[in-house]
Amino acid sequence: MVAAMKKTNPSFLNGVPELLVLRLLSRQEMYGYQIVEQIRVQTRSALSFGEGCIYPYLHYLESEKWVSSQRRTVDGRNRNYYQLTDRGHQRLEELTGEWERITAGVSLLMGGAYAA
Amino acid sequence: MQPDFIGRLQYRLLELGCPVFQMRHLTRELADHREDLKQAALAEGLTEIEAAAHADSQLGDPRYLAEQKMIMLRQSSWWGRHFIIGFCLLPLLTAPFLWLLFLLGNLALAYFLGYGGNSKKMIAASENPAIFHYMHMGFRLADYLAMAMVALVFCWLARRAAVRFTWLVSACLICSFYSLFLSVEVRPHNFSVGIFLWPHWLRAAMPLLIVGAVYILRQWSLHKERQKVAI
Repeated sequence: MVAAMKKTNPSFLNGVPELLVLRLLSRQEMYGYQIVEQIRVQTRSALSFGEGCIYPYLHYLESEKWVSSQRRTVDGRNRNYYQLTDRGHQRLEELTGEWERITAGVSLLMGGAYAA
Repeated sequence: MQPDFIGRLQYRLLELGCPVFQMRHLTRELADHREDLKQAALAEGLTEIEAAAHADSQLGDPRYLAEQKMIMLRQSSWWGRHFIIGFCLLPLLTAPFLWLLFLLGNLALAYFLGYGGNSKKMIAASENPAIFHYMHMGFRLADYLAMAMVALVFCWLARRAAVRFTWLVSACLICSFYSLFLSVEVRPHNFSVGIFLWPHWLRAAMPLLIVGAVYILRQWSLHKERQKVAI
């Protein structure tokens, strides 16, 4: 599955995981498992990847201070809850703008707006 | 978590030079995640063994995971992103200044701790060959310590940024080269710092000894981890 991710989702390394995670966390705070679940449900399993891969991204986002984490015990289970920071909101706006620009461009091309 | 999964992950992370704190941070969260996956699989009617196997397969390949962690870790710091500048160019440009700074810091510390006394005492001491011998040793110690501190700064930065060991070796080799010719010379009533033409081989060995110690320590941790997971 991980190998599949490397082949089929190369963009996963180019800002897409960042965008997805930040977008999800902008709605509510979540822990890793929840984030993966939400990505699966909301993308209708279009993105498949080794679930462990989410943590290096989360730690990276945390080191950039776009998200913050807090370890809490809920129902007898320890979990690291992640939430978006103010800087994270700004970053999300930037990424969303970038994403909309790219998808609009790709849609134009795919729709054949400039086709002869 | 299945011991061989976490063991393989930890081993690979150590092999790639991941700081222990980061390694624990990742494995702790993965353990939580695996437990969630296992519980979900059990709820679907799988047996304990099947649920554990399912959880492991969902988490992915531990080797790839470790590599991803290292990529992200390196991306998250300036030193990790600009390792050529940080561990080749900057040591070339800054090592002599850092050495001088640490040397003066060490001497100032010794002075404030009362080892220098006052200037009159120092002048008197420098005229006494027996006392001057100890003074000379003190200066030499401060000098060696300063060069060791420069190498340790780069070791610390390399560890923090989780860069490849090669870059740490490169920084320490540069420090070693400077150690050959940069020195402090103390004579009665005369103290000079600068570049000297005769090489100080023992001094030059200091950064190399430090990088060697780091390497041995790393190999020892890897050996311990290897025994734990029986790789």
